[in-house]
Amino acid sequence: MKKNHANPWVIVGLSLLLVVAMAGSCLLGAVDFSLQEIWHSPIFWRMRLPRVVMSVLVGAVLSVCGAAYQSIFRNPLTDPYVLGVSSGASLGAAVAILLGLEAFLWGVGGMALAAALLTVVFIYRISSIGNRMHTTTLLLTGVCLTLLISALISFLMVMNQEKMDTIIFWTMGSFGSASWTDVAVLAPVAVLGIGVVLWYGRDLNLLLAGSEAARSMGVEVEKVKRVLLLFTTLMVAFAVSSCGVIGFVGLIVPHAVRLLAGPDNRKVVPYAMLCGALFVLVCDTLARYMLRPSELPVGSITSIVGAPLFIYLLYKNKKGY
Amino acid sequence: MIGLQHIGVVYGQRRILNDISADLKEGCITAVMGPNGCGKTTLLRCIGGLLEPTEGQVLVEGQAVQSYGARALARKVAFVRQHQQTDFDFSAFETVLMGRNPYQHRLQNESQEDWDIVERCMRQTGTWELRLAKPAEMSGGELQRVMIARALAQQTPVLLMDEPVSNLDIAHQRDIMRLLRDSEGKTTLIVIHDLNLALRFCDDLLLLHEGGLLYHGPIADGLTPENIRRVYGVDAHMAEGRILFDY
Repeated sequence: MKKNHANPWVIVGLSLLLVVAMAGSCLLGAVDFSLQEIWHSPIFWRMRLPRVVMSVLVGAVLSVCGAAYQSIFRNPLTDPYVLGVSSGASLGAAVAILLGLEAFLWGVGGMALAAALLTVVFIYRISSIGNRMHTTTLLLTGVCLTLLISALISFLMVMNQEKMDTIIFWTMGSFGSASWTDVAVLAPVAVLGIGVVLWYGRDLNLLLAGSEAARSMGVEVEKVKRVLLLFTTLMVAFAVSSCGVIGFVGLIVPHAVRLLAGPDNRKVVPYAMLCGALFVLVCDTLARYMLRPSELPVGSITSIVGAPLFIYLLYKNKKGY
Repeated sequence: MIGLQHIGVVYGQRRILNDISADLKEGCITAVMGPNGCGKTTLLRCIGGLLEPTEGQVLVEGQAVQSYGARALARKVAFVRQHQQTDFDFSAFETVLMGRNPYQHRLQNESQEDWDIVERCMRQTGTWELRLAKPAEMSGGELQRVMIARALAQQTPVLLMDEPVSNLDIAHQRDIMRLLRDSEGKTTLIVIHDLNLALRFCDDLLLLHEGGLLYHGPIADGLTPENIRRVYGVDAHMAEGRILFDY
């Protein structure tokens, strides 16, 4: 029988592929460089490299959080934005743009982060009964608040039509303004958070058997859920506030990995981390290269590339998934 | 082994259990019986540490259940639940392997010992041939046996089973009951509706009636026509050591 932990060769293979893709992505762009020129180019150091690193970080974060959420909520349709993080962040960003905070370093991002965290805290408050978290209420509150907030954002946009484009562009997600500051803010959160999810891989498997079953097999269910939700939410909030809402990745990458490697989270989480990083990196490279020098929103590329790929996987693995 | 001390459970306005006290002997199979909704599952959940009783406490090996950590308790008590949840596609083998969780360190692969124990438990429950099957490919009875194998893989001195044989055909009912009877030293509580099966394989009886404990003692003395009539409202008589119902 096969072992249940991640296969080190797969990890090494995917990591190498990721490094090669990162190098390739750095060479591609609106301006062409030779290998000698690139080393001395500020475009490479100040724009392309941080952008490449950000797309890798965000892809990894969204995929890992998606995998974790799907196990915690035992619901294959959950994605990292289901708790309202993205809508909170969008509202924060919209307000920041309307107030003209774009001029400040991390003005929009900081506001988005604050609003995202506030939204999630509010949702947790509503769905906690005593010291227990009621996951169905959590999901429903998240969905409900998301709808309310998107209505608010529409309202704000209609009232301020001159800034509509900026807000829409932000909510569609982009790495266009990625800087080393963004990397420095997201990287520690991502490393810590992904580490925590990896650490609880086996518990995530047991949670899939149901809370009571997990408890009777030795999982401190409430504690594990709380810790995982805390770190995943923080990761998603930081990711969204730095680059906007990039859909599809967190929902589909974990599923694609499951179709290929089985449901064990000790494999799904590390594989999804690397595949998600690779996926977003490739999509962002396409987004900025295809119509250069202008850019497409990366969120639309993730869907255009990802949806057919995923439907193909589903078709190939027809097993009543 | 298991001490029930004045257990009472109230859900909202509704009282489910009232002042249940009993000492369950080590190594015995105790049938938990009573009509639907009389609190059998609730009692099992209290013993399994899944539900804190409103009144009283449960002792396992002399220690209050609520004072155990989840891992420590999972090495003492295993629980086969009535309804199985199967959303994601773990194979039968992977499912049973989960039962080894309380013995494993994080980030560590399962040991050879874990694999051997899982294989043994699956052979005992007749599920080894199904080891690669996914939940969607198994029948209700097969899934039930996989869950029993998972609980056995926990290697606990106490086994709680909520209607473990209700989905099984008569041959597998017999096999599982024999397996329980032959697992020496295991203290087993089993919710069961088949009176004759209980009479044949169980040692003791906890008979619940309207949330209270009507009888606790040897099963042969407890499953009398009088008790059956009182608890279920069904007339019955004994013939050749079997209970026959007068419908």
